[in-house]
Amino acid sequence: MTTRRTFLGASLGLGATLALPNLARGASPKVVVVGGGFGGGTAARYVKMLMPAAEVTLVERDKQFVTCPFSNYVIGGIEKMQTITHGYDKIAKRGVKVVHDEAVGVDPAARKVTLKGGRVLDYDRLVLSPGIDFVWGGLEGYDEAAAEIMPHAWKAGPQTVLLRKQLEAMRDGGTVIIVAPANPFRCPPGPYERAGMIAWYLKKSKPKSKILIFDPKETFSKQALFFESYENLYPGMIQWIGGKQGGKVTKVDSKKMTVEAEFGEEKGDVINVVPPQRAGRIAQVAGVADEKGWCPIDPKTMESTKVKGVHVVGDACIAGAMPKSGTSANSQARNAAAAIVAMLQGKEPPEPSYANTCYSIVAEGYGFSVTAMYSATPEGIKEIAGGVSKLKAPPKDRDLEAAYAYDWYRGIMYDALG
Amino acid sequence: MCTQRIVLVGTVLATAAFGLAAPAPAAPTAETIARNCVVCHGPKEAGQLEIPKLADYPARKMIEMMTGFRDGQKEATIMNRIAKAFSDEQIAALAAYFANR
Ligand SMILES: Cc1cc2nc3c(=O)[nH]c(=O)nc-3n(C[C@H](O)[C@H](O)[C@H](O)COP(=O)(O)OP(=O)(O)OC[C@H]3O[C@@H](n4cnc5c(N)ncnc54)[C@H](O)[C@@H]3O)c2cc1C
Repeated sequence: MTTRRTFLGASLGLGATLALPNLARGASPKVVVVGGGFGGGTAARYVKMLMPAAEVTLVERDKQFVTCPFSNYVIGGIEKMQTITHGYDKIAKRGVKVVHDEAVGVDPAARKVTLKGGRVLDYDRLVLSPGIDFVWGGLEGYDEAAAEIMPHAWKAGPQTVLLRKQLEAMRDGGTVIIVAPANPFRCPPGPYERAGMIAWYLKKSKPKSKILIFDPKETFSKQALFFESYENLYPGMIQWIGGKQGGKVTKVDSKKMTVEAEFGEEKGDVINVVPPQRAGRIAQVAGVADEKGWCPIDPKTMESTKVKGVHVVGDACIAGAMPKSGTSANSQARNAAAAIVAMLQGKEPPEPSYANTCYSIVAEGYGFSVTAMYSATPEGIKEIAGGVSKLKAPPKDRDLEAAYAYDWYRGIMYDALG
Repeated sequence: MCTQRIVLVGTVLATAAFGLAAPAPAAPTAETIARNCVVCHGPKEAGQLEIPKLADYPARKMIEMMTGFRDGQKEATIMNRIAKAFSDEQIAALAAYFANR
């Protein structure tokens, strides 16, 4: 009882009856989830599964979810858009109410979410998993109009198709430039997997072409494995210009098709810019983001440390040692769902267990991974154990890990939206 | 229930061994940990092709595999890295959890 009272008191900062209007009236508790991606889908599905009496509403702007995972394989030509496009019919069949609209306002005192279409949803607990927004203009010369010429393809969909089409239209002997961002950003291995996948396409179709990666960082995720794979598979084709070599891009020009780096100016035939990022807009609106644009959370419950009653999962949150990945979002959401159900029942939230695995495929049958287990500590989410695939592994291991990536995709899509 | 008890026993023993009166360190239940596993290993509905299914996996074999991966006696592409996160007690609890699925 003590823990329960302390807990509710601490977490709500309000009278329990006021703060949990639906519970107080004996109605079913209401959980609203904003964002139907890896974090939001998983959170909605697990709250409903663990507490069938709860009324769970998932608010998602789009009718279909196009996954960033595997979108690099569409760009490289080994997968189709259809593979990465998913509907919300299955999660709806599990009893989650899916509302296709955009959340535009959050009133944490009244516990209400306002939708663009005018609807207002009450909640006892709110989950925000809006993913990222781009900081337009954060890189000089890169705004929404420039992105139609120099695609980011960092939210999958039409941008993915645009980048693929540009590569198909490029002449043999052309230069592809990838502008990688500073940390933190969505999918730390993503730009380097993409370079591998573009090389896979170019090697077959336009072998005289080259790829330049401009990067402000001096190191990046799975770096030695990427370099080894470029060397093995695409010798001489991919050049990485890191922070020490002047790889930081200060300006892009979409009319001249150039990037300006500390290293010098370079012209590209196809330029892929991964822009600076922050938590999706609704996180800023709800007041859960800090001055850098990301959301601090309680490592045990994923509840915002800034606004009570609101949990933030996925790319939008600051999750300590965990990278911004779909697997991280999924794991955070599952643990947040268990915490939310316990809180709604007036119980102590269970101890969480977080995990991440990110596979990268750089050629058909050539994959490797980074993985780790994490725990919640008072100082934040910490890694318990983990690591990357072995260097110089036999081809059968790379082949197996590529196959495992496909199994991971099946599994996570089932766990999030299936 | 059975699995949770194993986790608890493990924690209690560890505390006793150090002779501490402090509260047992918090540990996730086997079920909480196991929910991470199914992302790659799947329930059968997910349709995995290569990665072994864990439902009804024989407990003794799982203990042998996981401790082997952890202690570097068994080769693996990825499980050797993950298994290092778990104590003997947690591995036993996970094995008991999956054996009864
Ligand atoms: C090229 C690339 C490759 C990647 N590969 C991998 C990989 O192999 N493995 C991996 O684990 N991760 C990978 N990722 C990372 C992964 O895509 C993200 O980490 C993951 O999508 C984060 O999940 P999320 O729930 O935070 O956001 P998302 O999955 O982006 O979901 C957010 C959802 O919220 C919706 N939304 C936002 N705001 C609102 C609003 N106000 N109202 C209603 N709806 C809203 C959006 O429409 C979107 O559907 C990759 C990323 C990229 C760019």
